Amino acid sequence: MTHTDFEQLAAGYVLGALEPDDENAFQRHLEGCTVCEASVRELEAVVGKLAYSATPVEPPPSLRAAIQREVAAAARPRGVRATGPAAGAGDVPRIHRRRWTTTLVGRLAVAASIVALLAMGFWNLSLQDQNDRYQQRIAAFEQASRLLNDPAAQTVRLEGSAGRATALVSSPQDKGVLITEDLPALRPGRVYEVWGIPKGESLNEAVPAGVFRPSRGVALVRFELPVTPTMSFGVTEEPGPAGSRTPTSNPVLAGAPTTRA
Amino acid sequence: MRGARAYRALQDGQLVALVAERDAGALEALYDRYGKVAYSLARRIVVDETLAQDVVQEVFLSIWRDAGRFDAARGTVSTYLLAMTHHRAVDVVRREENLRRRRTTDEALEFEPDPKPGVEDDVEAAERRDQVRAALAQLPQAQREALALAYFGGYTQREVASLVGVPLGTVKTRMAAGMRKLKDALREPGREDEAEHPWSRR
Repeated sequence: MTHTDFEQLAAGYVLGALEPDDENAFQRHLEGCTVCEASVRELEAVVGKLAYSATPVEPPPSLRAAIQREVAAAARPRGVRATGPAAGAGDVPRIHRRRWTTTLVGRLAVAASIVALLAMGFWNLSLQDQNDRYQQRIAAFEQASRLLNDPAAQTVRLEGSAGRATALVSSPQDKGVLITEDLPALRPGRVYEVWGIPKGESLNEAVPAGVFRPSRGVALVRFELPVTPTMSFGVTEEPGPAGSRTPTSNPVLAGAPTTRA
Repeated sequence: MRGARAYRALQDGQLVALVAERDAGALEALYDRYGKVAYSLARRIVVDETLAQDVVQEVFLSIWRDAGRFDAARGTVSTYLLAMTHHRAVDVVRREENLRRRRTTDEALEFEPDPKPGVEDDVEAAERRDQVRAALAQLPQAQREALALAYFGGYTQREVASLVGVPLGTVKTRMAAGMRKLKDALREPGREDEAEHPWSRR
């Protein structure tokens, strides 16, 4: 494809109307092309304005109320006692935020974000594209649903230079699902690899758990490995398509399980 | 939480920063600014009222959970929020193929010519709508149709090609030319640096 071809794809890209092949090709091109990147930003603003052409319809008051309700439920302070007077004042909000994924509300929020991510994942599939990728995503989603219903499963928050991700892991089942939302796209020939690191071990002892390439930053990755309850998880960038046996770069995402209150 | 009036004085970007700090009032203020346009867009795409409400609820809750994902360098809050609304609504339509069958092609294919009379509306939103509609009116019919099918119909370029009965390459050209013209028509001279939507300047 010539540069002019790519320039032309920018419109379909911002409208979300590209076929998967074009979309992947355009995304790869976008990483190295500042001209197209600028053009995408301009066109995204145009797409935002198009929303105003829809005939205005007043939303029902119940919608505002429903959003308020959900937000109030998530914002309600929890575990204030546990922080205690000894904790440094600066640490309190941080501890607070880290713990929330282990609560029921947190669990529901994770469930909601999985549904949202699944939706974003399917965004990339055209109607004709009901093939392997579709099947894989369904399988990952099913595994995620099972783990969400499993009281023994743990939620591990991963953070790093590549943004944030969530892993649901079950030590009794030796299974897990990693959910990423906004991972940067990879250069051709590179993959992301998931690792489990037993507590106290270095990165060199990391156990490989599978490789993946996100689609628009989103990935739902199913994996199986001997999970221990204190195991931490990380994601590195590795040469594709098979990944590496031990990590060859620093993790772009990493996280350890938070201890339950 | 502060009083509603205090939030109204804040710009969109400041509201999002407060949302990131778990300020529920800031999220409500964002909803008061963009809830209606987001809902109108979702209704236009998914038609069904309940599904449209689900879409808008998901959008605002996702901003609540992940306000940190908003990147001011990439665009305005309104672009971000309405793009998310569009993505999710289109996704619903793609999954629920029967929604498409429920509406006639005419409904799906065109940008609406005029608002229904007597609709209560925000002055600034109305201005913006007039501006966008005027820009759309300048496009050749074939380009407008291609954009409408993608934007409101949620059709991919290949699907648009088969609906309209033209080659895929033609659809690509039409969308690219249409978007380019819209961009030029909607350019706001001297306002490029103003990152926020006019509503934030109340």
